Amino acid sequence: MTRRAAPYAVAIAGAVLVTIAIGLVSTRFQVPGLSAFYLLLVLWLGATWGRGPAVAGSVAAFLLYDYFFVPPVGTFTVRGPTEVLELMVLLAVALVTGQLAGSLRRAQSAAEALAADERAMYELATAALRSPEVTVALSLLSQRAVRLEGVSRFVLVAMDFGSTVPLAGGDVNADELRQAIWSYENKRPVGVAISDGAVRLMRTSPESTEPAYLPLASGVAVMTVEPGGSDPGDLRMLAALIGLADLLLDRRRAALEAERARGFEASDRLKAAILSSLSHELKSPIASLRAGLTALMAPQAGLQPEQRELLGDLDGQASRLDRLVGDMLALSRLEAGMELDREPMRFADLVGTALHQLRPALKGREVTLEFADDLPPVEVDELQVGRVLTNLIENANEWAPSNGKIAVGASANDERLTAWVENDGPAIAPTDLERVFDTFWTRRARGSGLGLAIAKRVVEAHGGTIRAENRRRGPRFTFTLPLARVAATR
Amino acid sequence: MSGRVLVVDDEVEMQRALRTGLRYHDFDVRAVGTGEEAIRETAAWRPDVILLDLGLPGMDGFATLRALRPATRAGVIVVSVMPGEKDKVRALDAGADDYVVKPFGTDELVARIRAVLRRQADLSAGEPVIRAGDLEIDLARRSVTAGGRAVKLTPTEYELLRYLALHAGKPVTHTTLLRQVWGEYAVGDKYNTRYVVGQIRKKLGDDPANPRYIVNEPGVGYRLQA
Repeated sequence: MTRRAAPYAVAIAGAVLVTIAIGLVSTRFQVPGLSAFYLLLVLWLGATWGRGPAVAGSVAAFLLYDYFFVPPVGTFTVRGPTEVLELMVLLAVALVTGQLAGSLRRAQSAAEALAADERAMYELATAALRSPEVTVALSLLSQRAVRLEGVSRFVLVAMDFGSTVPLAGGDVNADELRQAIWSYENKRPVGVAISDGAVRLMRTSPESTEPAYLPLASGVAVMTVEPGGSDPGDLRMLAALIGLADLLLDRRRAALEAERARGFEASDRLKAAILSSLSHELKSPIASLRAGLTALMAPQAGLQPEQRELLGDLDGQASRLDRLVGDMLALSRLEAGMELDREPMRFADLVGTALHQLRPALKGREVTLEFADDLPPVEVDELQVGRVLTNLIENANEWAPSNGKIAVGASANDERLTAWVENDGPAIAPTDLERVFDTFWTRRARGSGLGLAIAKRVVEAHGGTIRAENRRRGPRFTFTLPLARVAATR
Repeated sequence: MSGRVLVVDDEVEMQRALRTGLRYHDFDVRAVGTGEEAIRETAAWRPDVILLDLGLPGMDGFATLRALRPATRAGVIVVSVMPGEKDKVRALDAGADDYVVKPFGTDELVARIRAVLRRQADLSAGEPVIRAGDLEIDLARRSVTAGGRAVKLTPTEYELLRYLALHAGKPVTHTTLLRQVWGEYAVGDKYNTRYVVGQIRKKLGDDPANPRYIVNEPGVGYRLQA
């Protein structure tokens, strides 16, 4: 109370002092307009303490001036408009300067508070970013939060891939954890909100000290804030701390995700390495089998035609086994994120190579080429895209009727080359058009069920797409390839 | 055409199968299981073709190839389970004449062996004219005809085609072509050889999508069809 009354006492004392000063001066000299000294006093009061003391000072000044200097001296009588005007001027000056000074002072104290907030945030943020462990940074942050007025608890709970981890600011009980999970999953704050950069408590009853829950991008802030008592500056600070906590939790999540990805990648690579050595082990006996079986198929071996036919079947099965092993390995390597060795290639060269490789399997079947000579070059891994073409042409060869045709075509626009392989065999059931690219999915017992899955992965690794459709002639597989950035070989 | 074939493979079943199969095709066959034996047998028996498995125990296929190459003029066909393209290039650069990927059929192997033998015969005959299908390259006149039609090539194109023709049937790596055509210290990549091969194909009237003369060896280089 005394602190509040002091400015008024100063105002009245000031008015008395000015009155004495005027009295002293006016007994010696005859100076008109000495009452202007009161104006100085009121201005000073307004600037220093605001409107109230200034008004008090101006009223006191008026009364004193009226009593001592305005005739009839010794009375408070107000006569004539001049004196009323004088009082009005003093009051107006008091009000205006008080108002001005007050808003200036408020602006200044707000600026100071803001600067203090910023300094504290800056210190905390740099400490948080410097600490290699996000959990350490979050603990620092939680400690800072509970130093704020009215904040008795500030717990951060991380939500990681379906599990919850209290990270900083102590533990939460089972009920609180349930509430936190609900808040996180529904993206709904409980008992608290952030608006205009400050924390606002939303209570059902004003005395409640239940914890409040604020869902963040990768976790929940659980806090207990005393009702009432908090300073607006502290609530702003709390909001800023929550913002920082949000960032840190996100950083933690990103680090965890990267770690998980590395883990998956490593396990894919391990799988590919195991499959690679396993393939080697499987292919060696297949090699002996095929060499032996085909040796006996020579006419010089002196076997009967039906015996040779049987050996041919067996050799076909051995080849199929070999193919299956090779396809499994290729697929696992693609899944392990094998690197592409891209270079500018002519589509015609790729098709030529594939057809040359497949010449024995095609057994003279006609393959129609439906693309222009001047297609722009593509930027691809020669071996991998070669595999796409051989797989698709082999697939077409498998499905085309014995006197049927296979067509390979392509066209290009400014962005990509679109190629397709078509045969005039039976249509693919509409429900299977998507499934044909699934691993181990096959329409016939003959294939490995991996050829199209491999084709899809290779095309996608090149940033392209592949799809199956039924055209008038028969099933068609269409895929896209990226164009080379530079003009390449012709 | 028959000849002596040395099989170098550590699997007894493979040795037996190849011995049997190649004998049916009139080859004289011996088989050994290690690199050291291969070197000894090559010196003693003087095979025409060596089938060398890269995955030998102890002294591996590459080491054996490096040891063999200066000591013999025999054709070397490298045999391997799942060789990477780099292995193929490495083997060719180390002096192999061809490679065959396991598992293979006897017919395919016999065709490769015969191609190597034919090339050796051509080289020793020193014919001034090389023929591959209806392609004729007259080394003395530096002239090329395809299907009886004269083809005009630039010096670079001629050099590249000549080198492929001298090694007809053999895969030639991009690096080898680059050095043969542009010199020992040529810097460049597949881009250069692809471009020149594209030009040659165009002049020979060869369809890249259905090549008759020059065939791509994916990841390795080119092969002129014998």
